[in-house]
This record gives sequence, structure tokens and C-alpha cells, in this order.
Amino acid sequence: MASVIANFDRRWIFLAVGLLVVSLYAAGISSELPESEYVRDFHATLEALPPGAIVLLSADFDPASAAELLPMYQGVIHHLFARDLRIVNVATWPAAPPFTQKEFARIAPLYGKTYGVDWVELGFLPGDDVAMGSIGQSLRSAYPRDDRRTSWADLPLLADVGDNMRGISLLITASAGYPGILEWIAQVGGRYDVTLLAGTTAVQTPDLFAFYPLQLKGFLGAATGATQYLQLAAPLAARLPTGEGALDEVRDENQRRMLVQSWAHILILALIVVGNVIYFRTRVPTGAARR
Amino acid sequence: MMPPLLQVPPSFFSLDSSAPPDVLGGWIACFLTLAVFSFLYRDNPFYKLAEHVFIGLGTAYFALQYYEQGVLQKLQTHIVDASVLETVKLGGHEVPADVAIGLRAAAVVLSGMLLLRLVAPSSWAPRWPLAIMVGVYAALKMTGETQSKLVLLVGNSIQPIVSSEALPFGPDVRIEQTALWFTATKLIYYIGLICVLGHFVFTFRRTRTLAAVSRIGVVTLMITFGSMFGFTVLGRIALLIERVAMLKDYTAPEYALAGGTQAGLLATVLSPPVLLTVLMVALLALGALRRRERSPGPA
Repeated sequence: MASVIANFDRRWIFLAVGLLVVSLYAAGISSELPESEYVRDFHATLEALPPGAIVLLSADFDPASAAELLPMYQGVIHHLFARDLRIVNVATWPAAPPFTQKEFARIAPLYGKTYGVDWVELGFLPGDDVAMGSIGQSLRSAYPRDDRRTSWADLPLLADVGDNMRGISLLITASAGYPGILEWIAQVGGRYDVTLLAGTTAVQTPDLFAFYPLQLKGFLGAATGATQYLQLAAPLAARLPTGEGALDEVRDENQRRMLVQSWAHILILALIVVGNVIYFRTRVPTGAARR
Repeated sequence: MMPPLLQVPPSFFSLDSSAPPDVLGGWIACFLTLAVFSFLYRDNPFYKLAEHVFIGLGTAYFALQYYEQGVLQKLQTHIVDASVLETVKLGGHEVPADVAIGLRAAAVVLSGMLLLRLVAPSSWAPRWPLAIMVGVYAALKMTGETQSKLVLLVGNSIQPIVSSEALPFGPDVRIEQTALWFTATKLIYYIGLICVLGHFVFTFRRTRTLAAVSRIGVVTLMITFGSMFGFTVLGRIALLIERVAMLKDYTAPEYALAGGTQAGLLATVLSPPVLLTVLMVALLALGALRRRERSPGPA
């Protein structure tokens, strides 16, 4: 048995995981998830905002994490527009703006929203934590112009935004790592009177439990959190014309992926158990080794 | 999720980012995805090509973004645009434009001094901007981090073990809503917290009591690391599923080698993911055969 483990080609495991994922995804079965309290609080915080309130939406991700964060980002844009909330979009990761531009261009027309009045894209700001600090201190100093090179005075939405996060009711970040939610908490959450929400990658999620609910009112942990949130927010899709970009499509796609996710986890758990059983059965006892 | 492919027929080549992915882009995306996955078999020329393309494109994109947003636009906004204004907003304060331009120009000079390291590594000039950067960054981090990750976090960790909002057991009450559940979770939390802190106490001799506390602390830490590992697996599988979903999108007949909108077995076989997979597997198998032929047999 020991030689079996020593000579086992791990590419068989890659192949097994790959075949399982492909076959289950192709089958198209979906699974509904029970919502956790972090997700319910995320949703409730958004629902509690009055129409017209301004939300600072930060895209802190890149293509490597888009698989986890883009669905929740799409869901949040739908949710904010459906509730007639206004969005100021920023990015602290250089690869994020192409995603955000595409999503706003696709979703905003569904709700009849106007650029400059209902949403503004300020684009990428280099500087990591320092950039976040300067956004908190003065959004106007940090971004004298928007991503389309329009000046501050020509964007009516920004007339309601002042220094020290004045006028911003909520900050939401789709955070893939550094800089991300932990830096927003340190540079903005701890200094200004603004509520924070986050959607994060799976790797970053365990770090956030300590900040909930005092510094972080709610969060969406990875694809699971995104799916749970989309389930809560999807009833808003009824207000939309059917077709491309509707929120229920994003939810259905995520529910479909979650079933695959669950079975892939079961397979990996089974492999861990089998590996441990084989290891303990073939392990040479310490005493025997000494003799 | 990609927009539904069949609603608007894709063009062969398009630079419009709001349009559906073009056919050429679809083939390239599928090829690069499969080339990266081919590393799971072994290091090979397809993977090497994808790796080099990724590093080249990534470096070019990031360099351009940082140059445009961090240098070009800053100079334009803070010096050229500011020169026609009376006052400028600087760090949240209205200051005369000439003062703001002077301060920004000083920052440009400091940036130039930093680059002198490239021509004179031991010069005093790069040390000044570096010292300012380190000082500013330390100050910025210290205040924010202390407040959010020490003061508030300690405050957040002190929680009541009974809840006035918890409910008694009942038919319509979930177990996590009950008072017993609430108190039990808080007690586990406090025991774990104290024992983990106890594990890192090195001031005193490790007596049996402290060793027992430390042991529970280690178990708590292992459970935490296990949870982190679980989340990491979750993330990696999510990435795999997204790639599979992307490849499936490109099996649409519009992207097939023959073109057209008729779905069928031939269109699927000639679609980028299927055709490229077959070709790559065939070429990798051929390479493996040639390697086997070249390698000396057993003596």
C-alpha cells in the first residue's frame, strides 16, 4: 500500500475533479442555499437606504478573482439601481475598470439610468492604502475628473458629495485581497462615519468574521455568499424587462455553479479521508522505527 | 457570466468592449485557457506560450495603467489644469493654485530624485523621497490600523454570553435562534480565544495547566486553519467552474470553425473548446511518444 501512495500519479485526481465539474455543470442542475446572517445583514443594510442615497462602490479585484466577485458585483449594481440609489464607482486595482465599465454599460440602460446623475465612474486610483485614505479625506482632491475626463462640475451627482465622506451613505467593496476591505476598514471605516459592506474572495473571507458586525455590517463570502445574496435580491428582477442582464439569470447561473461546488468539495473531502486512512494504516510506529 | 451569445451574432474581430466576444477572441481565450490547464499534465510548449503571453500582456497593461493614472493624469490635472484656476482643492483644503502647483512640482522633483538610484545607487538623493514615503506610510498605517485592528477589534471581541433577543425552543424556532445555542457558541468562542492567547504566553514556565490551555489553543488554531483551507478550496473550485462555464459558452455554433447558426454535433466538434482540446491532446500525446522513443530502454 505504501508503494501505491508513493507512486500514485496525482494527475488522476486532477482528472477526476475536472470530469466531475464538467459533467455536473453540463447537467445544468441547480441548488438553492440557505442564507447566512452575514448575507441577510448585507441585504438588509442595502434595503434600509432611502432612495437617492449615494453609495461608494469600490472594485478591488482583477480577472483572477472575477469568477468569485463579478456575480456579486453585478447583483449589487442591479440592487442599487432597482432601489433608485446613486453610485459612485471607484477602483484601487488597475485591472478592475474594464469590468466595471462593461457592467455599468450593460445594466444601467435596463433601469433607464443616466451617467453623471445616477452613477459616476471615477476609475482607477493608484496608491493602495494611501489612495483609500485620500478618497476618504476628499473624493474631489483624489479624483478631480472622472474616468471619462469629465470635470467634477459637469457631474451633478458629485455636487452632493463632500469631504470626509460627507454625502456617502454606504461603502461597498468587492475585495480580492490587498488593497481591499481590510484597508478600507483601516483607512475609512475607522475614521469616518460611514457604513461598510464587502464581498470577498474565499481566501479572504475568514479574516472578516472578526470585524462583523461592529466594523462591517455584513459581507458576502465567496461564491457561496454571492449566491445567497442573489437569492435575496432576485425578486427585484421582476421589475426588469426580461432579457439580457436580468438579475434572475445571474442568480440561476450561480445556483447552478453551487451544486457543482458542493460535489467537488465532497470529492475532495473523500480524497482527504482516504489519504489519511491509507497514511495511518501504512505508517511505521515510532517505537518500531527506533528499534 | 458572459452575455448570452446567441442574442447578437459575434463579429470575426471587434474592439468594441460592449459587444459579445468576437470569434477570433473566442478562439484565443479558449486556446489560452486550455494551454494553462495543460500544465496539470506536465510542463509543455502550450503552457509556456500562455505563460509568456500572460506575463507580457500583464506587464504592459499594468505599466500603462500606472503611467496614465499615476503620472500623466496627475501632471495634467494638478499642474496643467490647475494653472488656469485661482484655487485648487488639495488634500481636502482649498489652496491658491500657485501654492498647489509648487507643492506638486516639489513632489515631481522628489520622484525624479528617487529615480537617481538607477544611475547613482549610493547617492544621497534617493534617500530623501524614500524617507518621506516610509514616514508618511507608517503614520498613515499606524493610526488607521491601531484604531480598526486593535482598539475596535478588542472591543468587538468582548461580547455578552446571554442575549435578550434569543428565543426559547419551539416548533418554528431555528436552533441558532435559541438562547442555549447563543450562550454555547459564545462560551466556545471565549474558551478558544483565551486558550489561543494562552498558547502564546512564553513568560511563565509551562506548567500542566498552561500546557492544557496551550493544547486547546493549538486545536482551536488547527480548526481555524482547516476552515481557511476549506475556503481556499472553495475559491479554487469556483475559478475552475467559471472557466468550464466560459468554455461551454464558446461551444455556441457562431464560434465554430465552419461558422453558421445551426447547432449540432458537427458545430460542437468544430467549436473552439472541443477542437482545440482534441488538437492539444493529440499533440501532447505525440510529444510523449517521441520522448519515449528517444529515451534509452532498460539495460
